[in-house]
Amino acid sequence: MIEARGASKVFNKRKRVVALENFDLHVADNEFVSIIGPSGCGKSTFLLLVAGLENLTSGKITCDSEAVKGPDPKRAIVFQEYLLFPWQTVRKNIEFGPKVNGVTAEERKKISDKYISLIGLEGFENQYPHELSGGMKQRVAIARALANRPDVLLMDEPFGALDALTREMLQAELLRVWQTTECTVLFVTHSISEAVFLSDRVVIMSNRPGRIISDIRIDLPRPRSRETIFLPEFKEYEKAMRKIIWSEVNLENS
Amino acid sequence: MVSGFFTSDRIPQTLDHYFIMRKYYIFISPISLFVILEIIGRSGYIDPFFFPAPSIMLKSLWGMIISGEIFPHIGISVLRAISGYIIAAILGLAIGLLVAWSRVCEVIFDPLIELIRPISTFALVPIMFVWFGIGNGSKTVIIVKACFFPIVLNTIAGIRGVDSRLIQAARSLGAKGSQIWTMVLIPSALPMIITGMRVSTAMSMLAIVGVEMLAADSGIGFLVIDAQRVFATDRMFAGIIVISLMGVGLDRVARYFQKKLLSWHSDSSFAETSA
Repeated sequence: MIEARGASKVFNKRKRVVALENFDLHVADNEFVSIIGPSGCGKSTFLLLVAGLENLTSGKITCDSEAVKGPDPKRAIVFQEYLLFPWQTVRKNIEFGPKVNGVTAEERKKISDKYISLIGLEGFENQYPHELSGGMKQRVAIARALANRPDVLLMDEPFGALDALTREMLQAELLRVWQTTECTVLFVTHSISEAVFLSDRVVIMSNRPGRIISDIRIDLPRPRSRETIFLPEFKEYEKAMRKIIWSEVNLENS
Repeated sequence: MVSGFFTSDRIPQTLDHYFIMRKYYIFISPISLFVILEIIGRSGYIDPFFFPAPSIMLKSLWGMIISGEIFPHIGISVLRAISGYIIAAILGLAIGLLVAWSRVCEVIFDPLIELIRPISTFALVPIMFVWFGIGNGSKTVIIVKACFFPIVLNTIAGIRGVDSRLIQAARSLGAKGSQIWTMVLIPSALPMIITGMRVSTAMSMLAIVGVEMLAADSGIGFLVIDAQRVFATDRMFAGIIVISLMGVGLDRVARYFQKKLLSWHSDSSFAETSA
């Protein structure tokens, strides 16, 4: 459903910062794919390219067989820094997407009601972002992205700014929310355990310019629960991925 | 931060003992100053010609209030200040938004703004009189000059300072073109823009008083300079007190609007409940 072929991105024509080079990736419908890799390997750049917020230098990216030309609410993106609109309440933030896409006020209220209760923030509809905790803000950001009923949800280290406990809670929340929608998720992270816990597939990238050095199918049962991390298979996956990443890092140091 | 007399909450607690309500704290300094100056004034150490005791200033002021003399002056000063301010606000916002929106406008207006801004407002007074005569028109032009710059500069900076990632988030949600302006850029820039508009209210007061001192036959500034000509220092100070109070009043009004428009802002100076 998402298809990247030979995707390349070069920043700053003079200095030629090659963020991504000849990147190929295929993501099927409704798959949850995590991309994990060292800092600077280009994973965030790839996400922005799929979102249409950056333009390819060469190669192509298609979503549902259509080339990605620019941003579109069907390819919603959630950032690490939440990027909620501070002058709007929780409800208005969630209604932003539908509003700019011409949905009537009545419909919008139904949509925001639905997502506010889905993310468990009833009672907070009229709070402003600065009055919310990090975990709450990220939930609003996710709801805001989902309010447009996207086909693809792009997440750029969304839980990176949160403390470890909130992070684990939101991972479970994300899966719960995702089960109620029908969308493909492309999830960028630094955390091996997070990737294993959440995904159907984990793609490991090398250092810049990133190439895929491993593409691992995670065959853990769904729906996943907090206890999933205790399964021996879980540890096996983590171990295998760690070894791959270590060998890549060693390559860099030697 | 080391806790001490000035950094802790001890002051309010101490004063609570004396049953002084917190909202009256702001009067403590001015009243104390008044008392001190009154004592100095009456002691005879300072020639009352140079600095009359505050009670004498207030008596003079009271006389002007009773006779009704003061009100037309206040009225005309406020009128001139407000009309100049409104024109400056409209021009400032319009040009500010244009410059932030269009590179072409930026190239056209930026250099002009940078060239005219440093020119002292009052240095323009004689030229204005040559061009527009002695009427209210020239005074208004000067107020506009004084108020225009904080507004236009803050508008430009406010829009340019919007986090580009917020714009990315909005685009990703489907916002296009003018929607980005009305639904993201302007609301986001509003704190800075409103700060500029608030600063300009103070500038309008400064400017009108100065202009009236230089060349007018009415207004509070004229009142002060007229008193100076006949060496009536008590009347001068009465006028100065009025100017100060007008400034405070204007600022309070501006803060009220600021609070209403920016209640969402996390910065406490915008959303605080000011006394």
